[in-house]
Amino acid sequence: MWSGRAEPAGWPVQRVDDLRTPASPTDFVASAGPRVGDLAGGLALALLRAGIAVGPDRIGRLASALVLIPPERRIQLYWAARLALIADRAQLPVFDAVFAAIFDGRLDPADTRGEANAPPAIGSEPRTRPTPPDDRPNDGATGATEPNRPPTPTPPAGGDTDPDATQRNGILAMASAEQRLHHTSFADLSPQEAEQVSALVQHIVLSTPSRRSRRSRPASRSVGEVDIRRTVKAAQRGGGDVTTLLRRRRRRSRRRLVLLCDVSASMEPYTRVFLSLLQGAVSQAQAEAFVFSTGLTRLTRQLAIRDPGQALARAAAAAPDWAGGTRLAQSLRAFVDDYGRRGLAHGAVMVVLSDGWSLDEPDQVAQQMGRLRRLAFRIIWVNPRKAAAGFAPLVGGMAAALPFCDAFVSGHSLASLDEVAAAIGAESAQISRNSRRND
Amino acid sequence: MQPSPDPVATAFPDVDALTAALDKNDYLADVGLATALFLAVRLPQPLLLEGEPGVGKTEAAKALAAVLDTPLYRLQCYEGIDSAEALYEWNHPRQLLGIRLAESRHSEIDEDELFSPKYLLRRPLLQALEHPGPRPAVLLLDEIDRADAEFEAFTLQLLAESAVTIPELGTVRAIHPPIVVLTSNRTRDLHDALTRRCIYHWIDYPDAERTAEIVRRRVPASTQRLAVDTAAGISRLRSMDLIKPPGIAEAIDWVAALTLLGLDRLDERAVEATWGSVLKNREDVDVVRARGAGWLAGATRG
Repeated sequence: MWSGRAEPAGWPVQRVDDLRTPASPTDFVASAGPRVGDLAGGLALALLRAGIAVGPDRIGRLASALVLIPPERRIQLYWAARLALIADRAQLPVFDAVFAAIFDGRLDPADTRGEANAPPAIGSEPRTRPTPPDDRPNDGATGATEPNRPPTPTPPAGGDTDPDATQRNGILAMASAEQRLHHTSFADLSPQEAEQVSALVQHIVLSTPSRRSRRSRPASRSVGEVDIRRTVKAAQRGGGDVTTLLRRRRRRSRRRLVLLCDVSASMEPYTRVFLSLLQGAVSQAQAEAFVFSTGLTRLTRQLAIRDPGQALARAAAAAPDWAGGTRLAQSLRAFVDDYGRRGLAHGAVMVVLSDGWSLDEPDQVAQQMGRLRRLAFRIIWVNPRKAAAGFAPLVGGMAAALPFCDAFVSGHSLASLDEVAAAIGAESAQISRNSRRND
Repeated sequence: MQPSPDPVATAFPDVDALTAALDKNDYLADVGLATALFLAVRLPQPLLLEGEPGVGKTEAAKALAAVLDTPLYRLQCYEGIDSAEALYEWNHPRQLLGIRLAESRHSEIDEDELFSPKYLLRRPLLQALEHPGPRPAVLLLDEIDRADAEFEAFTLQLLAESAVTIPELGTVRAIHPPIVVLTSNRTRDLHDALTRRCIYHWIDYPDAERTAEIVRRRVPASTQRLAVDTAAGISRLRSMDLIKPPGIAEAIDWVAALTLLGLDRLDERAVEATWGSVLKNREDVDVVRARGAGWLAGATRG
């Protein structure tokens, strides 16, 4: 069955030789025979071509698994390969497609699993591992085996940030121009100015209010509860007599910060700068970042690296629907269902960056905002259009969402981002709703 | 590979043997999950289970322990969990008591005595490492994503070495390294180092037929008809756009509730009486009510 088709040209036999995993002894490959090793290596290579990184340890694991489970039937091979090579649910559609393409040419294995959304054919899957567009020598092993790939799409508003040096010069040069830029709307910036502003935005310190953590730390006398463990330890040093009661107090830790950024077409003038805000928040304040347009994409991982240019490029590649329509209610729903109620939004400070223009019915938006309201500590809505003269939150989605927000700020310019930072740091609700209509 | 004298290997030579053993313990595993558990036991390698709440992630670990006839050590992770709660802690009150007792007898208690295993409180990780065998214990790290990233790293290192050093006692090395099952709800991304070490398995919802089968096993007092009706009702609910679609756990709760009420078939009246067993969200109840209890019971289908 599969064995006939399992050996396309260019099988990387030599890769199998350097398998070194704790689970597989080094003499393993010899005992397993070359066939199992070839099979594992070949499948891994095919996956790599489709964008799923498979390290040598996983290939070795598959080889070990195939020794335990001789792949006599297709289903045995499928599960052994899937379990050994896949690290995330998001990789499953691609894996299924690759497996089907290799082992039966056309049959779709997702059908047998009862999966409703059948995976696309190989190559058509857009959400593969994004490659940062850099020419620097790569450090990781995965980078070395990275296949050639079409150039990565850049973020909509010109994401090709220059290397650090240029950026620093930009910031220096900005000192004089800052006064003017400070109050200019992001929408009115030239591309070059937008880049400078983005560099500054990245360094805005976003700090959420604190809450009591489960962890404790030593406290001075008369506050906090008695720390029996430390008291007894101290007593042992002093010969067994308790002379002082040592106390402890619950530590305080920062609340989680979650940012949801609208990247639909209507938000495009602001996307570039807001993404930088997200990137700064993720890399410096351990925030969680999501973008939405027609669907929701989690970008925390992509934005977590320090190099802003690379982070933004990876983010651009990861989210499939830049500058599309807005499904506000649907995206909020996806967030609450898949992340929020599992713990991400519990007691968190939520920031939604959106103009509130949505294709969804306002009452659906209200319903989802209500669900979010019940989970989050505070909800802050950042709407860059708020600053426009004569703005009133009459857009359906915005009007529906507003009653659930604790703060409503504009964040359209560098100066007004201070308001955003203040709203995020505020301890209690209702600080600046409808504070200023105009700047 | 040479056949090893490992008792686990002889008991479970292949996936089918494990499936059958799980079946005997009333845990019905599909081929994917059975293969995952088989590899976790035989490679051996930690198994990371993900899936919607209520698909039986925790149950899988329990069933595995039952099949192997070894203890299950479960560590429920939460934010701020530290080694005192996960690994070991000295029993300070008892040590103090020991000192006092020695004093009252006008004798001395020395350090070695005070820091002997007698005064050690063993937490799940240490218990799993110390398990004497002959088969390895099952260690369940439940909801690992709730713990801090530092704790994740600490656990990982401990598992990699299968040994822990207690300064006062020395190093405890596992004779039979535990079989590790981790579950995650994806509230945060797990570290790459952890996922790289683990076998990953996503547990899907079982279909109606299998749901009925599982329910029959778990609620022996239920009738076949009730189980089948309920499973059909559950798949009907899953086809709706609910906030919290019912899982296996809800199906079992529902049938248990119906059975307890002495109902042996699912009709409109039975559904009206037991909404709370299967729908745990007010919005969901409203949505399904609008559709009608009769529809849920399958009345329109005939």
